[in-house]
Amino acid sequence: MSRYLITRALVSMLTFWVIISLVFFMVRAAPGGPFDGERRLPPEVEANLLAAYNLDQPLARQYLDYLAMLAAGDLGPSFKQKDFSVNELISAGLPVSLGVGLAALAIALTFGIGIGLFAGLSPGTRTDQLLMGAANLGLALPSIVLAPLAVLLFAVWLGWLPAGGVGSPAHFVLPPIALALPFVAAIARLTRGSVAETLLEPHIMTAHAKGLPQRRIVIRHLLPTALLPVLSFLGPAAAALLTGSVVIEQVFELPGIGRYFVQAALNRDYTLVMGVVVVYAAFILLFNLLVDLCYARLDPRIRIDG
Amino acid sequence: MQIRPPINLTILLAALIGAAAQAETLLLGNAGEPQTLDPHRYNLRLEETILTDLFLGLTAMDAEGNIGPGAAESWQVSEDGLTWTFSMRRDLLWSDGRPLNAHDFVYAFRRLLDPATAASLAYFMYPLKNAQAVNASALPPDALGVEAEDDHTLLLTLEEPYPHLPERLLYPTGFAVPGHVIEDKGDEWVKAQNWVSNGAYVLEEWRPQAHVALSANPHFHEPVAIQKARYLPLANEQNAYNRYRAGEAHAIGGFPANELEHVRETMPEQLRVSPLLSMIYLVFNTERPPFDDPRVREALALVVQPDVLTDKVQRTGNFAARSFVPGLVSDYDGPVPGHHDQPMPERVARARTLLESAGYDADNPLEVTLRYYDDGDGKRTNLAIASFWRQLGVTTRLHHTELKVHFSDLRQGDFEIAQAGWIGENNPGHYLDLLVTDAGNVNYGRYSNPEYDALLNEARKQADIGIRHQTMAEAEAVALAEHPVIPLYSIAVKRLVHPGLRGWHENHRDVHAIRYLAW
Repeated sequence: MSRYLITRALVSMLTFWVIISLVFFMVRAAPGGPFDGERRLPPEVEANLLAAYNLDQPLARQYLDYLAMLAAGDLGPSFKQKDFSVNELISAGLPVSLGVGLAALAIALTFGIGIGLFAGLSPGTRTDQLLMGAANLGLALPSIVLAPLAVLLFAVWLGWLPAGGVGSPAHFVLPPIALALPFVAAIARLTRGSVAETLLEPHIMTAHAKGLPQRRIVIRHLLPTALLPVLSFLGPAAAALLTGSVVIEQVFELPGIGRYFVQAALNRDYTLVMGVVVVYAAFILLFNLLVDLCYARLDPRIRIDG
Repeated sequence: MQIRPPINLTILLAALIGAAAQAETLLLGNAGEPQTLDPHRYNLRLEETILTDLFLGLTAMDAEGNIGPGAAESWQVSEDGLTWTFSMRRDLLWSDGRPLNAHDFVYAFRRLLDPATAASLAYFMYPLKNAQAVNASALPPDALGVEAEDDHTLLLTLEEPYPHLPERLLYPTGFAVPGHVIEDKGDEWVKAQNWVSNGAYVLEEWRPQAHVALSANPHFHEPVAIQKARYLPLANEQNAYNRYRAGEAHAIGGFPANELEHVRETMPEQLRVSPLLSMIYLVFNTERPPFDDPRVREALALVVQPDVLTDKVQRTGNFAARSFVPGLVSDYDGPVPGHHDQPMPERVARARTLLESAGYDADNPLEVTLRYYDDGDGKRTNLAIASFWRQLGVTTRLHHTELKVHFSDLRQGDFEIAQAGWIGENNPGHYLDLLVTDAGNVNYGRYSNPEYDALLNEARKQADIGIRHQTMAEAEAVALAEHPVIPLYSIAVKRLVHPGLRGWHENHRDVHAIRYLAW
């Protein structure tokens, strides 16, 4: 077990380093620099700016400096948000993004599994067709369409909920729902298929033959097997919920790191882009690792002691 | 017993409502997230808006946009226009209660031009003597042409006469910064917990991407009606419009252009349209054939109709331009190229003749690439321009990029014809400088004409505004005759303002200081 864990952790670290290096050089290769704008920059002013942010150093030197800084836990100064360090910005924005992402994950799991189970237990019926039809619709409608519609309906016309920003719990109602809907649909379809399939497995038949109550069969025998595909979907889904909040944060004007990411990319704010990538990459790798470990624990067919 | 009329109740109620409204935080939509609140490092108009509430410069703008006294109560300029003497108000305090005087401004100007500050707009104060040399590390900061004669008298010495100095001092680059805090806290001085400024408001909290919260400065020399305000970063016009309609912002700086008709019908009293001192234009790369040929440029310029663009295509209230210096600039009588008053068939015929003489006809049609960045209705505007040119048999390829890439490529001369814009001052030189040979890469088209340069140089040496502007108008006529640019329009800013907010006046700079507002 520990050897497996160490190998997996090492591979994750390597992936992390590759991601950071790739992004480091890619953002710098993008046309336009952090100080390009409509206004004139006299050469002496530009020289002062480049020197202030060490951009006058050779690229290799900048790269090594960045890695050293990162190793010390410092993401550097933001090139554009001059009054904040990247660490300060991320610690202000991450709780918002995480809150929305986790709430969305909870909604997606609760409703996705609930609906999927309900439909899967009676495959082929009217209810099943109706629910799966709705789920298909949910999959087809991305957040970028749903979210602005939700704002128009609930904030502008009905006036029940705020249109955007933060400040009260009411600000955190629409964003997680809008973010979760496509995932509710995906998980519902996945669960439904898996439940319907597992119903035909010999061990479920045996349980029925033994005359066990339906409730006990579902909880003890059906779900552990039927939820394995959902579990493997969770790694990428958790990552997608975190990064998917990029869109949601734009629409609802939430001060999360997804919003920084978009602005920083447009502004060529190299350090802030890097900082957000570091956070995203760390979360995605961590989630995948966790899911792999859970998978190994739940599915006896996977052996991890080798 | 006398029966009291119920009117008293009404008055009481009104007073109560008034008090409630006063306690309410003013919520202002801003065009985006500020990148800094250090006035010397600022770079954006949306920062200028906030900084004008937080700081006070030597001069200031009243609610209607007129330039008047700020930290200085009066000023005199010497005969040769080179020495400006500012008399400071005696009752000025920093928000921590410490007195503020002429020495604070000396500190501020030196800090702005100190290369270590890396101020991207340091050049705004290049009119000061030795400013450029100081900024380029060629001279020490104390060589700068700024001096405190005594605590209440500030002397500014200039390189050349610059009659527009009071306007230039309105920008945050001319604001005083608290040296006593900066020397103590370093770069951390801009944090809310260390905040000290001399404007009507102080920084209470800056939550990134959520809001910048201000509260009234108790040490400001005038009382203000609004005690608390928040600037919200509403970069997206649709979001801003939604949040305004949901009552989450009391004023917003823009809404989707296609909602204009709807707004005019449903909330006309909340719509505020004001012209902005600005010029949107097309620029030719005069170093790249065939645009080095004035005949080709003239042919293309002849058939562009800015009024059709603004009134028929955009219909968003923008103001069609006839010359390069915006018509809003005061005391300036600019040249109007003759073709604007000719009928279109004549203009098309002349343009065709010009193109033919340059070697382009039906067998060898001219093909051009027009670059633009997206500013909402950029695509429609540029499609219309392409259709103007189609009348001449010219094929136009539209090339769209985001703003950063656009201007970075323009600086490097990587374009044929491109859309460009300049938001400027009430000063013709501010626009005409863009076409000077040594303007650097902001002269995107690398236009160069010694006669134009000489006339502008002559104008810059003039202290008298009348003669100065007349010479500039002559220079503009020289340049426009060669069509290095096609002036298109000045922007109309479209705002929505809560009907209960008093003291809001349209002005050509579109800056609305909170201290002039009231519920």
